[in-house]
Amino acid sequence: MTAESAIEITTFVNGTEQSGYVPARATVAEYLRDDLGLTGTKTSCEMEVCGVCSVLVDGRPVSACAALAADLDGTTVTTVEGLAEEGRLSHLQQAFIEKSAAQCGFCTPGFLIMATALLAANPDPTRHEIAEYLDGNICRCTGYRPIIEAVELAATRMRESA
Amino acid sequence: MSVLPPFALHRPQSVDEALGLISFDDMPLGGGTELLLAMRMRVLRPDTLVNLKQLDELKSIRLDGSDLVIGGGVTHLAASESALVAEHLPILPKVLLEVGNPRVRASGTLAGNLVFAEPKSDVIPILLALDARVHLRSASGSRQMTIDEFIIGPYYCAREPEELLTEIRIPTAGIARAVYLKYQTMERPTVGVAALDMERDGTERRRVVIGAVAETPTLLDFAPGDQIDGAAIAATIEPIPDIAGSARYKRHVTGVYIDRAVAALDAERP
Repeated sequence: MTAESAIEITTFVNGTEQSGYVPARATVAEYLRDDLGLTGTKTSCEMEVCGVCSVLVDGRPVSACAALAADLDGTTVTTVEGLAEEGRLSHLQQAFIEKSAAQCGFCTPGFLIMATALLAANPDPTRHEIAEYLDGNICRCTGYRPIIEAVELAATRMRESA
Repeated sequence: MSVLPPFALHRPQSVDEALGLISFDDMPLGGGTELLLAMRMRVLRPDTLVNLKQLDELKSIRLDGSDLVIGGGVTHLAASESALVAEHLPILPKVLLEVGNPRVRASGTLAGNLVFAEPKSDVIPILLALDARVHLRSASGSRQMTIDEFIIGPYYCAREPEELLTEIRIPTAGIARAVYLKYQTMERPTVGVAALDMERDGTERRRVVIGAVAETPTLLDFAPGDQIDGAAIAATIEPIPDIAGSARYKRHVTGVYIDRAVAALDAERP
């Protein structure tokens, strides 16, 4: 088999099937932002450190800056644009608003995605567990406390409504 | 705009097929948490990447006698979630759940951490402490070696360009107790200390491995009951000064963490 410089992929992004060719070197972030126009996913450090590019691939948190779009073939992707359902914000999104967990907002998509992954795996995390899970996400505005409180609030509401 | 330099992608369907493709210019791609960053910084410029992600034969975790065998494609997350690992080597998931961040753990592999010989690794010191061996395969043969033989220096390991790290073999017998303590203020540890009470070749020993602070980890074996002086050991370490601290500062922190790891190990005694 020869090496391919463009790879045909089919992937479900926020519930919509997407098919097409991607360059071998395209990152997930480039594919989402440039090909699909989903600019909610940001890039910053591009070293898997800051967390602003976080997306879920088959439910797993992934740094979109350092993953190949070619590897999305056959997967399900959730970006920040896919967290609201039928125009209704998720519990996490609503809690981020109520707790003022965003200031400039640049890091917010990454925090929302990572917190979504955390609460899927651990519906009742302690403050320490929240802080630990989110330590790969950098916010330069809030000082983190409102973010952690928002995740706690969302977790409580999700358990009550489950 | 592409952040990565151009390359083409191989997607082999078996390890044997992959071994026929791997070379200096055709590099194996595991989790990509190190390789893609090195390519972005133009430190590495392979013509092609040989994608290993779809190879389930590299993702197995099994017990062979009393050895735990972890495939070259097993992620930190997969190993930390394995019931087999938790039962036979409970220290390993504790260490792996502190690697990087949740995204690095979900993509990055133990084998990738080893082949990049990352000096600020959590994985390498604990595997060294556990007497792990790596299994390397190429199209023309295979060989095994210890972690000490494999890790030559910072970002420098004994893997030849046509070789693939297919398995990590860790003996699980004879480990009475183990702890791993690290100090970390940024994305990688300043120092990590593993301390174990173990029996090897019929001899009881207390082992201390100091990682992340110097270019390569240091392994020290003591007899049970020996006095272990963290500051005296730290005085023999050559810390790498960087943004996380000066050599003098890191040497101090190392002494403190050796003492704390030994105290934590004592606290685990029945």
